Amino acid sequence: MIPLENFLILSAILFATGLYGVLARRSAILILMSVELMLAAVSINFIAFASYLDGDAFSGLIFALFVITVAAAEVGLALGIVLRLFRERQTAYVDSADSMKW
Amino acid sequence: MIERLPLPAQFDRLIMVGGTAAVLVMAPILVVLLALLIGDEISAAELVFWLAFTVIVAGALGTVLLSNIVHAALALIATLLGVAAIYLLLATEFIALVQILVYGGGVVILIIFGLMLTNAQADPVVTDGSQKPFAAIVGVLLGGIFIAAAIDAEWGAEAATVVPFRDFGARLFKDFIVPVIIVGVLLDIALSGGIVNARAPRDDDASETEEGAAS
Repeated sequence: MIPLENFLILSAILFATGLYGVLARRSAILILMSVELMLAAVSINFIAFASYLDGDAFSGLIFALFVITVAAAEVGLALGIVLRLFRERQTAYVDSADSMKW
Repeated sequence: MIERLPLPAQFDRLIMVGGTAAVLVMAPILVVLLALLIGDEISAAELVFWLAFTVIVAGALGTVLLSNIVHAALALIATLLGVAAIYLLLATEFIALVQILVYGGGVVILIIFGLMLTNAQADPVVTDGSQKPFAAIVGVLLGGIFIAAAIDAEWGAEAATVVPFRDFGARLFKDFIVPVIIVGVLLDIALSGGIVNARAPRDDDASETEEGAAS
């Protein structure tokens, strides 16, 4: 049987990679993709804990399902914002969205 | 205007480079794992785990490191399918199927449409900011802390349990019906907001009519 730690290590690597992407990238769409990586890492953790530690194994699955749903909503909304940004500024880079920066 | 390769050539190159890289990375790992499996060092489940591990880590690194945005999106698909394999290993078939449907079929397609509509290729390809080294430090430190904590802790793990499809549906729509409805409303609001944001501007905004017609 695969020990629980293996799943947690995989999830940690995935989360750290996603965090690096969010911090290092300039394009809004690439940042969005990195956020997806972080959400997938969190879902792996939820499901691994649910099936290893919770005898019932149900609440973790519900959380993972809701994470997937919220990620879909987030992508839909964020791409709308990115399209709007592109139309206003002719670029999808986040550092061009600085009109609220003082 | 933008330099564009003819589409078939672009795809040929993409498939050639991507396929070669995938084979070069995966083949030795597969050989080692198969040797271990035959020698009874690891079980079949562990073989699948380490294959999925390789795919996920390679795909995630591709997503955050590749400078071509379309290649990064393809690497993201590989990662998310690998995550679905991990869900299958954890005996949660339903979540695995939802993962493939929603991510492979929905989210990534949406992202690729976003790439096309924002014409990201037209920009000079400087996809990373100057804060890159600091981002790398933060990522490595946080990942190291997580891994150390995961190894250090005493989990007392039991055997993995299986939730059958049938029980899953029954409990989802009986015990959790209110959260399900709330998430439905959330999706509705978010997607309506997305449409309102992405909609082409009205005619009275003369400077933007051409952009609006294009999208």
